[in-house]
Amino acid sequence: MLAEVVERIPPGVRLEMSRAGVQVIADRVGARLLHIKGSMTDPVLLGPRFEGTDVDVMVDPAGIPSLHRALVAAGWQVYSAFRNNSSFEHAQTYFHPDWGYLDVHRRFPGIGIADDRAFEVLWTDRAEVRAAGLPCAVPALTAQAVLLTLNAARAGGMGDTAARVWDALDGPARRDCLALVERLDAAVAFAAAHGDLERYAHRREYLLWKVASRGGTRTEDWLGRVRASRTLRDRIGLVLRAPLVNTERLTHKLGRRPRPAEIVREFLTRSAQGAREVTRAAGDRFRQGPAPTEGAAAHSSAARSSPTDPRRQKRGEA
Amino acid sequence: MIRYRPAADVGVIVHDDAVYVARLPHGPIVVLAGTAAVVWRAACGEGEGTVADRTAGSVDLDSSAIAEAVDGFVADLVARGLLVRAQDVAVAAPSERDPREFAP
Repeated sequence: MLAEVVERIPPGVRLEMSRAGVQVIADRVGARLLHIKGSMTDPVLLGPRFEGTDVDVMVDPAGIPSLHRALVAAGWQVYSAFRNNSSFEHAQTYFHPDWGYLDVHRRFPGIGIADDRAFEVLWTDRAEVRAAGLPCAVPALTAQAVLLTLNAARAGGMGDTAARVWDALDGPARRDCLALVERLDAAVAFAAAHGDLERYAHRREYLLWKVASRGGTRTEDWLGRVRASRTLRDRIGLVLRAPLVNTERLTHKLGRRPRPAEIVREFLTRSAQGAREVTRAAGDRFRQGPAPTEGAAAHSSAARSSPTDPRRQKRGEA
Repeated sequence: MIRYRPAADVGVIVHDDAVYVARLPHGPIVVLAGTAAVVWRAACGEGEGTVADRTAGSVDLDSSAIAEAVDGFVADLVARGLLVRAQDVAVAAPSERDPREFAP
């Protein structure tokens, strides 16, 4: 009697098995991780059909080096490093030919407190679910609601995700949710997801979240990153890196390692594009006259957007 | 009663009529469809008698007619490290404990 050959393993099965495999690897090296997003999301929040396409885990920052070594030893390759993955440099993507993609998060975009403290806050109230029969830790329901909302803020609200998540919570859960937002110092991104970012126009993260939630030029993105940086050292580092070519992204675009001439060409293209964006922005300002004050800009934008601050919404109970 | 259970670090997913099992983290994923899935379920399931007895109840065949094939298949799954005898797990050393005994 032999196992019958099935031509194609269902993607959901492969993904769940991949998730369980990552958990086994983490257990063996003692790295604590929380499974986030995708099928590990409580169906109460987004419904049972929200499956996802890759494995996402948030890892205790102290455990990342050992987890990285173990992943590489198990055949996972770094697809995109922390530094190159996003404006928030929050996750490192791995790829395995059999198991697909894995995002290892060292932080979650939108959370303002230190990475290790944030992980401890989420870990303390963790819950347990099973993947392929193996136990996996996930954030508590309230924390899942916060993370989903913060995640939605980065993709123009991801449709109505923020509203759906909010609607799924009852009164006490909403109060817990907002309390956790405060505890994690995540109010700016949370507001961005609910279309209420202008209330936070005075915050250093404002431009970064404006670009993340509504789109913007590459130059605006970098400017937002620089403004959001906590230290002068971080700011200088970002400014120096701005014109550099993301060779990982270029490799993925070309489907092979770029040649030196192609890197130089990309460098020149980026520099020219950045110069054009700066020139265009300066021209726009010149034509429009003096720039409005931050407060005035915030006020006019707020007037255009719907008042979706959950604390002020009619359906809000907190 | 002879009963088995998935070995430590073996992932098991029941999807439609098939059972997908893999030694993690390396795999590969082994697909048990049709009678193979029935045998897996019988091996890990509750009930009296042998695995062949429990399988026979599901496929409407005489236990003695399938016993050799069923025992051979289960032995293959054990050899692949996918199944272990349930009582073997009970006396395993602490370091070999099933990590599914999760304590958050």
